[in-house]
Amino acid sequence: MRTALQKLGLQLLLLAGLSLLGGLLGATLVRFAPGYGVDERELDPRLSEASINAIRNANRLNSSLLSYYGNYLAGAVRGDLGTSQWLDRPVSSLLRERFPVTARSVLFGIALAWALALAVSLASLLFWRSLFDVSGTILSGVLIALPAAVVAMFAVYLRAPAYAAVAAVTFPKIFRYLRNLLEHAYAQPYILAARARGIASTKILVSHVLPLASPALLALLGISLSIGFGAAIPIEALCDSPGLGQLAWQAALNRDLPLIVNLTLLITIFTVALNLLANVRSEKKA
Amino acid sequence: MRRPRGKLAVRAVAALLLLLVFLGAVFAGTLTPYSYAKQFRETPNSPPSSSHLLGTDGLGRDLFARVVYGTRVSLLLGPAAALIATAIAGLLGGFAALAGGWCERVILAAADLSMALPLFFVLVAFRAALPLDISPVVSIIATFLLLGLLGWSSALRVVWAASRDLRNSDFLLLARAAGCTRWRIVFRHVLPNLRPVLFAQFWIAIPVFILTEATLSMLGLGVMEPLPSWGNLLRGLEDFSIVAANPWRTVPLLLLVLVVICFQLVLPSQEESA
Repeated sequence: MRTALQKLGLQLLLLAGLSLLGGLLGATLVRFAPGYGVDERELDPRLSEASINAIRNANRLNSSLLSYYGNYLAGAVRGDLGTSQWLDRPVSSLLRERFPVTARSVLFGIALAWALALAVSLASLLFWRSLFDVSGTILSGVLIALPAAVVAMFAVYLRAPAYAAVAAVTFPKIFRYLRNLLEHAYAQPYILAARARGIASTKILVSHVLPLASPALLALLGISLSIGFGAAIPIEALCDSPGLGQLAWQAALNRDLPLIVNLTLLITIFTVALNLLANVRSEKKA
Repeated sequence: MRRPRGKLAVRAVAALLLLLVFLGAVFAGTLTPYSYAKQFRETPNSPPSSSHLLGTDGLGRDLFARVVYGTRVSLLLGPAAALIATAIAGLLGGFAALAGGWCERVILAAADLSMALPLFFVLVAFRAALPLDISPVVSIIATFLLLGLLGWSSALRVVWAASRDLRNSDFLLLARAAGCTRWRIVFRHVLPNLRPVLFAQFWIAIPVFILTEATLSMLGLGVMEPLPSWGNLLRGLEDFSIVAANPWRTVPLLLLVLVVICFQLVLPSQEESA
């Protein structure tokens, strides 16, 4: 019990370290990006010399990386992640608005992809191996050869929801691992013995195969979340779904670095936290 | 181990197709008399004809010329990015396995964290840090350099595992006992034995990078016009009515899918390599 708690503490420490490091990297990216510190308002002929100097002084406060990062961290502790240069709105309120849309698309998409991958893998193991194995392999082979943006485009053509596109992008990556994992579990001698004794397939699956494969399945679940969030950018951009992916794309096109860096940091912390959780669970099960 | 003849035949056909596409990309100038940017302003959106094999796009540019030159960009720079990623993975993975200790733990933790990141978000963030109005050539270099520099983590784990097995091997113990220097061990014994693993990782990374470039370019964050790449050629497919009326516009997509599938088919599976 103590070891599990220690492991959890270590993972949390790792997550905190990553957040600080990610924040520093993001601050470095913003601070040293070409064009940093250039304020369009300085070109406004209506402003007086004193106003322009005030703007320059305000920008000078963030002139060194450490002061910039310090100000950023101090703001982040208060829940202030800065202001979007493009939308002129607080980044935190934009993230709050958009996160549920992306979370819904990604979670539904991953659930659908897992259900499909599990169904095809189990059908190929339990029923008609050649038919389901070949059809699953062909489907995943074709889907994996399509860029995520093209999958999103097809979803637009077919008027399918964004989560269906997330599922189509995630399915081939899950299916291959899942099939191999289940196949490996089914090939274990004690499962062969259970089948020889006439134990029902569903009982073998639930009582023996899934528990054996569950540590690896949990780790795969963590990875599939990263894949799903990664696919959210092109899918939401092309399917016109107002989530974080679309926001990231628009922020990149408008070079709104504070917004895109905060967005990336948030998604990174979220996916890494879920992955760490999956790892802790899978280690516990193993 | 005997390999099924059917699989070998499929692999040979895939390799031949890849070779043909690659040669077409290298000798693009001899396949088409037109430049990828030359406009035929009197015939925009024209259907396929003897002068324009795949017709022209909305700006009157020859689509066949753009596909051929776009293939050159995607098929030459995809491997270049894969080479960078594999080199980073090879260096870090090999170093981690041979050095051991805290170096190994730090490098593996970095790789695990990097694998947990949604790569596309990170790519878009780094791409956004660069100005958007960069020249097309710089946009190609930036896109593929970013792919190479950020896409090393999954290869690192595999290289590390292979290097760790080598570290514990008898022949390396013998080499150390015989007084071989560290550099001689790395270059004479470790690298030649890692070559198949590195090649497999390089080969696996190529289609991944080609697909990622395609998605980036479709979103306007990859290779810039007028230079063609498979990604920005696919932007022409966004309007379904145009695709339905001009089905030959799907040729870049079909070529991309064919090439990615061929890349997957050419590489032997793990069971076959074992």
